[in-house]
Amino acid sequence: MRSILTLIFLSVLFSTHAQTDITGTVTDPSGIPIQGANIYLEGTYDGASSDENGSFSFTSSETGQQNLVVSFLSFETYSLIQDVTSMTDLKIVLKEDVNSLDSVVLNAGTFSAGDNSKASVLTPLDIVTTAGADGDFIGALQTLPGTSNNEEDGRLFVRGGDANETNIYIDGLRVFQPFAATTNNLPTRGRFSSFLFKGTNFSTGGYSAEYGDALSSVLQLNTIDEPDQEKTELQFINVGLGGGNTQKWGKNSLSLNAFYLNLKPYQEIISQRVEWIKPYESLSGEAVYRHKFNNGLLKVYGGLSYSNFEFIQEDINVPEGVNFGLKNRNLYVNTSYKGTLGNDWSIASGISYANDYNNIDIINTDVNDRENSFHLKLKLRKRFSNRVKLNFGAEQFINTFSEDVEVSDVDTIKTNYDNNSTAVFTEANVFFSKKLAMQVGLRGVHNSLLDYTKVSPRVSLAYKTSSKSQISLAYGDFYQAPQQNVLKFNSTLDPEKSSHYILNYLYQNNGRTFRAEGYYKSYESLIKFDTEIPEFDSVFNNNGDGYATGIDIFWRDNKSIKNLEYWISYSYLNTERDYRNYPNRATPNFAAEHNLSLVTKYWIRDWKSLLSTTYNFGSGRPYNDPNESVFQNQKTRTFNSLNFSWAYLISQQKILYFSVSNVLGFDNVFNYQYANTPDVSGNFARRPIRPNADRFFIVGFFWTISDDKKDNQLDNL
Amino acid sequence: MRTIIILLTFFAINTIHAQNAYEKGMKKAFELWETKKPDEAINLFERIAKAEKENWLPYYYAAQVHIITTFGIKDAEEIESRLKKAQDFLNESKTFSKENAEILIMEAMLNTAYVAYNPSVYGPTLSGKVEELYRTAKTYEPENPRATLYHAEWKMGGAKFWGKDPKSFCPEVEKAILYFEKEPEKKVPFYPQWGKNQIKRIQQNCK
Repeated sequence: MRSILTLIFLSVLFSTHAQTDITGTVTDPSGIPIQGANIYLEGTYDGASSDENGSFSFTSSETGQQNLVVSFLSFETYSLIQDVTSMTDLKIVLKEDVNSLDSVVLNAGTFSAGDNSKASVLTPLDIVTTAGADGDFIGALQTLPGTSNNEEDGRLFVRGGDANETNIYIDGLRVFQPFAATTNNLPTRGRFSSFLFKGTNFSTGGYSAEYGDALSSVLQLNTIDEPDQEKTELQFINVGLGGGNTQKWGKNSLSLNAFYLNLKPYQEIISQRVEWIKPYESLSGEAVYRHKFNNGLLKVYGGLSYSNFEFIQEDINVPEGVNFGLKNRNLYVNTSYKGTLGNDWSIASGISYANDYNNIDIINTDVNDRENSFHLKLKLRKRFSNRVKLNFGAEQFINTFSEDVEVSDVDTIKTNYDNNSTAVFTEANVFFSKKLAMQVGLRGVHNSLLDYTKVSPRVSLAYKTSSKSQISLAYGDFYQAPQQNVLKFNSTLDPEKSSHYILNYLYQNNGRTFRAEGYYKSYESLIKFDTEIPEFDSVFNNNGDGYATGIDIFWRDNKSIKNLEYWISYSYLNTERDYRNYPNRATPNFAAEHNLSLVTKYWIRDWKSLLSTTYNFGSGRPYNDPNESVFQNQKTRTFNSLNFSWAYLISQQKILYFSVSNVLGFDNVFNYQYANTPDVSGNFARRPIRPNADRFFIVGFFWTISDDKKDNQLDNL
Repeated sequence: MRTIIILLTFFAINTIHAQNAYEKGMKKAFELWETKKPDEAINLFERIAKAEKENWLPYYYAAQVHIITTFGIKDAEEIESRLKKAQDFLNESKTFSKENAEILIMEAMLNTAYVAYNPSVYGPTLSGKVEELYRTAKTYEPENPRATLYHAEWKMGGAKFWGKDPKSFCPEVEKAILYFEKEPEKKVPFYPQWGKNQIKRIQQNCK
């Protein structure tokens, strides 16, 4: 018995020490040897690195079936299970890892900032240090090609589309009122403080099937996952005061901030073209709570803002001017969860809610409107392999609106609607190789108010032409329901439709980026009506149409001149549309043919200063002169503006900031308003629509208090 | 009884055998690194890590070799892919050892490497993170000499950037020297002990 046992042990010992040679070569798909690949038997110490000929050899005392693993940076890990004795003269061909940094990117139509994405053209800091943007993230995006400068509005006008054709999302969920409430010719700003976001994805066309109800563009903003550290921030600006605080504990973090803005003191010093009765005043607060679970991340964002102003708006038809007052209250809550489910499944889900209330007084008319909106979304993602991924999901929009218009001593008109829609989407991402990738998607939407169901395909392709360059193509159909101003009077219309065709070329080399994109966009079923603005007795139809075509050029260089970063954007736009009450196709006022931006940022180390300038140019904008027989055939003078900002870092935590827009005081005209009736000599009189002031000055002091005394708010400016 | 003894002896031999393989492997990996074969060293650390399953050290060292290697290269793509890989290794490392000061120090160095290679992009975004990592590492081990020394160097870099005197952090370096002397002999083989030979270089700022 004893001898048998001994024998067994001996044999076990012996067998574990028998040596087998494992040899072979490692190459890439084109047969080029790979040096430095890691080759080993899984779960053992036995292995080697391949030499300059791609050859390897090592010995192992393992027997039987074993798993041979071969791994190398930017290649997919290879695995071979077979008997060790047959692991000789192996010819191993590694497949390129399509997730590596030098792979092709599907980027037609898209500008991204931050997120370490390879296609990024801006850094998160750029968004906030661009002169003229004054901390508004939308302002920086207006220096990118594909946008038309409409300084009197402040929102995004993309490729011949008006501002309503762009939708904004935070963490994948819709933002219903992304801009502060204003009126004609008072530029607006984004409601959200830019320091909450770590990455921005701005699509000027051909975007993913995940997004809908926008004819031209979507802007995706992603909030930061985890703040770096606890801190308190204080802001003292000539037009307001703000403060914020961030706390972290365990797997939780909470950021709070508030800002009070009042333009009264400023407007008493700097003369304005309009007569203010109650200068713009707003109070806003935001809170973000984040909780990390083992397999996911929960974020809850809440923002509440209140604003009010009153002024006398100049009007050619009303000599004494139009008294206009507005009070707005907005609540926005956004809750999202992102996580993994195991087995290569992941989930992104959430709900956003907005409650918006406006009270508007125009002369003797009192308008009250209330809007409640919900967005619910569930998205699942399955990763079949490194090369094939599938996204699919469903979303529900619920929107209720009601408005009371009270004309004193006359009547009260009530309007309301419930606009609900349901959408499903699916999208596949396929990498055929590191050089060729494709995304194919389909989106279906049903709107219960207007009772329509539409299906829209989305396709994009990208091909890497060299190690530094690539071309991509995109196509997509996009539908958008009519806006609030139409829906409140009519619920029998069809959605408006656009189709995008995009060709993109991208070249990136060591701090320099060149991007050129040509596009054609067609518009169908645009909404027309027979009155100046939509009214309760207007006759509406879907007979409008149009097109937009153009070329967008972007050049960025961070390397050629030390401490200087700059970018140049140029957009050529040719567009005409027949919509609203247009008698025929014409180019709308917001669409200038040529737009140019030059943005520079120069860091002077000795002065501890960041100097930024932004020059914007726009060719003349079309307007209609009723004295002429042809509709919309006049053009304003060209638009020019040079903005300047100076951030001086007093110490690591204190920043002094100064900025001025339109330094050179160009006298810009955006449009003309003509009299409704001709004067005695048969001419229609006009007044130019100009900025409320030629320049805007900001002086601010930003103070960050954190334990480490290192952080500052440069990224908030 | 005898069978049991034989069995026990056998297992003992086997564990010693395994222990030796681990030590031999780790030693060999350090040798490869010293003889300027960083990629082979990384490969070996990775192999050991995969075989060991629940040991944070081989992953930690694989990350360290990648990070140190980036200081000597210029190619942006290679730097980015090495640092990405190093972060993957550190993430693996963290799954086996929670609240580990040494891993956080290494992660701070990794982020410092990003800042060093592209200050204008990563400086503003990662500075806060580096600071926080050293800070947390010090809460886990207040007398960790590496955390003290490298945090001091990081702060000196910041002071120089801001035109301030880096000397104000020299007492921190003195503290680090003290902690190095006091540093207890670790029972775990290959427990991080590096950094002492960097004192002189960092003290250049104090002259």
